[in-house]
Amino acid sequence: MSYIISDDAKELLKDVKEFCEKEIREQVKEYDISGEWPREIYEKAIEMQLHMMDVPEEYGGLGLSHIDQAAIVEEIAKADAGVAVTLNGNGLSLKPVLIAGNEEQKQKCCDIIINGGWGAFALTEPDAGCDAANSKTTAVREGDEYVINGRKCFITNAQVADFFVVTAMTNKELGVKGMSAFLVYKGTPGLSVGNHENKMGIRTSVTSDLLLEDVRIPAENRLGEEGTGFITAMKTLDLARMWCAVIGVGVGERCIEEAAKYAQQRVTFGKPIYKHQAIQFTLANMQIRTEAARQLCAHAITLADMGVPFTTEASCAKAFAGDAAVQSAVDAIQVLGGYGYSREYPVEKLLRDAKIFQIFEGTNEIQRIVIGRNVINKYKI
Amino acid sequence: MEILIFVKQVPDDGIEVHLDPAAGTPDTAKIDKIANAFDTYALELAARYVEANGGNVTVAAIGPDGTDSMLKNLIAVGAKKAYLFKDPSFEQGDEASTANRLAQLVKKCEAENGAPYDLILCGKESTDEISGQVGARLAEELSLPFVSSVIEITPDGDKLIAKQETDEGYIKFETAMPAVYTIAKPGYDPRYPNIKAKMAARKAVIPTFSAADAGVSEAPCYVECVSYTEPPKREAGLKIQEKEVADTVAKAMEILIKDKVL
Repeated sequence: MSYIISDDAKELLKDVKEFCEKEIREQVKEYDISGEWPREIYEKAIEMQLHMMDVPEEYGGLGLSHIDQAAIVEEIAKADAGVAVTLNGNGLSLKPVLIAGNEEQKQKCCDIIINGGWGAFALTEPDAGCDAANSKTTAVREGDEYVINGRKCFITNAQVADFFVVTAMTNKELGVKGMSAFLVYKGTPGLSVGNHENKMGIRTSVTSDLLLEDVRIPAENRLGEEGTGFITAMKTLDLARMWCAVIGVGVGERCIEEAAKYAQQRVTFGKPIYKHQAIQFTLANMQIRTEAARQLCAHAITLADMGVPFTTEASCAKAFAGDAAVQSAVDAIQVLGGYGYSREYPVEKLLRDAKIFQIFEGTNEIQRIVIGRNVINKYKI
Repeated sequence: MEILIFVKQVPDDGIEVHLDPAAGTPDTAKIDKIANAFDTYALELAARYVEANGGNVTVAAIGPDGTDSMLKNLIAVGAKKAYLFKDPSFEQGDEASTANRLAQLVKKCEAENGAPYDLILCGKESTDEISGQVGARLAEELSLPFVSSVIEITPDGDKLIAKQETDEGYIKFETAMPAVYTIAKPGYDPRYPNIKAKMAARKAVIPTFSAADAGVSEAPCYVECVSYTEPPKREAGLKIQEKEVADTVAKAMEILIKDKVL
């Protein structure tokens, strides 16, 4: 089983697979150690247009179906989750623009991405992660401008981004209803990017603080009406969670590949270890949970495409795929035994990469709160 | 410049081929079919040439059903037009008959293209049968200048300079046009398609012609394949498992002297 895609998309997927095998898989090992952003990998990915899969066709995009896109994103994630997260960062930053922006804003951001640029979505703050409503960043209207002050953190692609979607409180008293979203372009005075986080995993993705000190932007850079920022951010995260889950599935699939290959080479007690039932069961469980995660993704994507509510399904996919990736990475390490614990083999990286999928885009605890609340609503008495 | 490239569809050369025990022929049914690697080098070289100097690249293939998919993929990476020639009579033959048919097909390609070709390229060999004959035979059939194992072409007025790779180094040839060259591996790899070009190319309809459509008469055939034999399996080598290096060397020397290698 896998995503059910068209024959033409299968041909495209072969190219992506070849690209991943020749240009990503081996190369990322060095970057995983150094923590350097692999610019040359991204330049090649941009040539192939893997950075612009979220640009809608009417704004110059590719016109791939979301399921085709999922199959491609999974393939990239299988080669390296960090690369998939970076490329997906463009989708993440574009979503709030597409949700709340006007035509001019949409076209401008799409053009930036089409021309090889990057976007970043800046919601999280040191004291406001999942609790986004606790945002301390403020935007004060002064004539035809807004003046933004605050600090964002853990911002994917901030160091390389050409545009940022920044959420800020325009009216703190209104709580989440006082949050607005703004487009801030690179080079705006007062905008600066902090050092990048020295992360445990997805080390080919750059994550940084973003400082806003008296950043003045024209009022026309506001996305949607004042007070709609929180809704825009939540809608963005609903969509982003699905893609985050898809990347997690890619990590899980790589775990299966590494464990299955090793299990055929390693001999104990006179036979390759895959012939031991303990290993077969481990591989089977890895397959079951990875495929289940993939189908949760496919289901959430299908619902989103149909334009019906999919928040619960996206949260289910995200939580399950994240947990599944971590468990499969743990299993893969166990299959490889001592070698699995060694940096000479690829699976310890998979565990470091997998862990973030239980954390970002709303922790899995937050996903369960969302799911739990919706379950109660469904059976409300 | 108008460039025509003849492309062969071959089984993925990354996969080991074995004989089908029942039929006694190579069992390639389950192996993905791809464009011959050297033909893709020819396309990349041609695409770079026309991007720098102007012109168009046409790819053409003789092949069964499914070959159109390969041709569509080539449109995504630099070919402007593609023609497929499909006929039961094309399935039999040797290098001489293939070259003879291709020579006849050039006319049909030119008629469809609406312009004659200035340069005809083939890979220097195919990765399945590796005879390396078809390009040279094609030049002979067409009575055109021929250079083999070319890795670079540069324009020079109404002539072309072809840089041929040899075991010792390079030879530069100047030829008139039209000419036939076979292409070796240049110092770069074929490009990856971008997604937009790929998806557009997948929607292309490849004009397909039978032998009769293309006006191809019967081609001569001199070689008949009698049977296939798999190479013998490598036998296990001798193991030298002495504990000390000195003993290992002594043992190795003993074996070499005994077998009269030394």
